Amino acid sequence: MAAGLKTIIALSFVLAIGFLLVILSAALFHNFLTLLVVATYVIAPLPNWICGKCANPDDFMGEAGYAVVDLGRFCTGFLVVMGVALPVLLAHCALIQVPAMAMSIIGGLLIYGTIISFTQFFKEEQDF
Amino acid sequence: MESNRLFRKFPTPAWMNNANVRTAGVYMSGALFSLGFFLFLDAAVYSHSAKNGSDIHITFVDWIPLICSTLGMLVINSIEKTRLNADSFSYSGNGVAWKARLVLFLGFALIAGGLAGSVCVLVLNYVVVEASVQTMWMGIANVLGNALVMLSCVVLWVSQNMEDDYTYNLAL
Repeated sequence: MAAGLKTIIALSFVLAIGFLLVILSAALFHNFLTLLVVATYVIAPLPNWICGKCANPDDFMGEAGYAVVDLGRFCTGFLVVMGVALPVLLAHCALIQVPAMAMSIIGGLLIYGTIISFTQFFKEEQDF
Repeated sequence: MESNRLFRKFPTPAWMNNANVRTAGVYMSGALFSLGFFLFLDAAVYSHSAKNGSDIHITFVDWIPLICSTLGMLVINSIEKTRLNADSFSYSGNGVAWKARLVLFLGFALIAGGLAGSVCVLVLNYVVVEASVQTMWMGIANVLGNALVMLSCVVLWVSQNMEDDYTYNLAL
């Protein structure tokens, strides 16, 4: 089984590091705008999940099913790039400092990577 | 299907009918749209931040081209692609293809108008008054943002056309 206990422990460890980096980037500089990154990355997989449930994957001729799935993917792509672009924007406009930007980007990517990995493992468990 | 395609002069290469390429194209389209939007949002925030040393600020007028481009993208990608080649007897009513192409033309006009409008804003607000490079970047970001939205629309269109061929192959 791919998703063993060790994998879950490692993933939660990475998730904790990600949250630590983002919260530090906010608390160290007394500027809590970087917490927006966490919100962005947490809602990033949601459009994919919701639209995946809405579409009927068995119906190959259905136009609407593919359109909904594509909309979900479009929104996910938008949100993932937003998670990187938002700290860069804030740093460029001197609303946060550059170290805070770097920490929040790395932390956000770790959080998003953890969410995606969890989804992949759960998907493998459901397939039999 | 192959002979009825809109641009039959350009045959699609074989790797483009892959489902994974299609998925990647849709994701890429969302990413490009996000990049364009945030490029301009960055300019807008910058113009009202303490770092902006000039009197020029981004107002609602500067946002109009991006709104036009986004609306055009919505219009273009809302059209069902099969309607563009539909004959009058295959769907309800006469001249479905003609109407669909008219709406498609409106979408293209909105996107082209957005790009042209951003260039217009760049020239009128920044080049004519001979703004400095830092200030002119706000206008350039506007043009780049609109161009990225346009590119995103092209990528989405191409990926969805891939989907049509893929679906057709599976249906047979």
